Amino acid sequence: MTPSALAVRSRNAVWRRQFLLQGCWNYEGMQNVGFAYAILPALRDFYANRPEEELKAVKRHLEFFNTQPAMGALILGASVRLEERVAAGEADPRAIGTFKVGLMGSLGAIGDSFFWGALRPMTSVAGALLALLHPLLGIAALLLLYNGAHLTLRRRGFAAGMEGPEGAVGWLKRASLNIRTDDRKLSAAILAGAYAGVFAGRFVVQGGGAPHALASLLLAAVAVHMFTILFRKAVSPSEILSFLLFVGVLILWR
Amino acid sequence: MIWRFLLATLLGGLCYLDRTAACQLMFHRPLVVATLMGAIFGNMSAGAQVGVVLELIYLARLPVGASIPPDDTGAAVFGGSAAAIASSSTGLDAGSFTAILLFSVVVAEAGKVADRFVRKANVRIARLTAESVDRGDVQAVEHGLLAGLTLFAVMGMVLALVFSGAGVAVSKELLPLFGPASRENFAILLPALPLLGAASVYSCSRTERTAAVFFLTMATVFCGTVLSRWSA
Repeated sequence: MTPSALAVRSRNAVWRRQFLLQGCWNYEGMQNVGFAYAILPALRDFYANRPEEELKAVKRHLEFFNTQPAMGALILGASVRLEERVAAGEADPRAIGTFKVGLMGSLGAIGDSFFWGALRPMTSVAGALLALLHPLLGIAALLLLYNGAHLTLRRRGFAAGMEGPEGAVGWLKRASLNIRTDDRKLSAAILAGAYAGVFAGRFVVQGGGAPHALASLLLAAVAVHMFTILFRKAVSPSEILSFLLFVGVLILWR
Repeated sequence: MIWRFLLATLLGGLCYLDRTAACQLMFHRPLVVATLMGAIFGNMSAGAQVGVVLELIYLARLPVGASIPPDDTGAAVFGGSAAAIASSSTGLDAGSFTAILLFSVVVAEAGKVADRFVRKANVRIARLTAESVDRGDVQAVEHGLLAGLTLFAVMGMVLALVFSGAGVAVSKELLPLFGPASRENFAILLPALPLLGAASVYSCSRTERTAAVFFLTMATVFCGTVLSRWSA
């Protein structure tokens, strides 16, 4: 694969702009304006002195687009390379739309599962636990743990995309995000167990004895299990909190 | 107090931008926002205490596709400011702490409605952008994005101002209406809240491997915590 002819300044601009992929998130085109905005410096480079073709290219990228924002970097990089080929007359412009539509759904699912379903819970609970020692320690842990993985994946995904669609697919295979997701879910479960244990232990009345402590542990475990069942039945945390608030008002009323 | 609200509005607005429109670097997480609001309103550790519990509660709702989760950033703005003010007036006892956490659900749902409104308004911006590009104005893409970003920022600042104001009002006006005995009764619900947060993470991370690990860790850490409290 030949390296991209895109000017370094334009490449850097595309890299920076990808952080605003959701800047104009809307219910119709979702990330469409953000994607067109991010790729614009590359289009200006490729279609310099060809305003008609530049306009067509911008319109192509204003079509519906939605994926997990961090995974968008990969699609963005690969789209830049595809546009380069289109501008050189080596590829059909329709290939870009097909590529984006083909990848955004599956990458969105992989990214949602990894970032929102595994990495964020893991770093959140790690931060919350360390914040019990000192708030700033917890915040630092949350931000460093999350962004260490987040920015690395963004950077590597973008670089792989810039090698072309083939490079993007190859990187996806090598990155083995499904294994990473499982590992982080396991870490999140361990840390969440520790979090539940710390708080359940704090609420045990002192001097209650071992049977009282055991009963408290069992009660806490049952409560966690019940809440989990409710979440799995698509009950929102807000609904549970509203119910608890209602119970609280009843207690005050009494 | 005015400069505190100004700072809360400005920093809250930036955290809101991080939530959807820009970067997603997790500066919008409740732990960060509640601690920040606590620091602005005079007691960082009180804000952090609220943030530690709020951080996990809403994780069960993922921002997948077009779905919008409850506004935990707003809940943290409210909770952080309320906790800091309560700690300097009635004192952040367990009852006030519980009440602040439970009242934050109203804020989280209100923030969700506002988020939906911004995304609907952005449809109009996106359409105008597409129309301008059709007329040959490529720069409209940059203007469209700036408009969307501005809308997210303005809404974030308005929400931060309103929610921090609500937090201060609740702590100064509402909580003192209840006596210490009433607040103590309210605290009965407190143990459920961190467990709700742990369940939220557990439901996200639940696989065949994790169930046993979760409960084993919970039991081990529980025993350690109880023993250390008893020996202290």
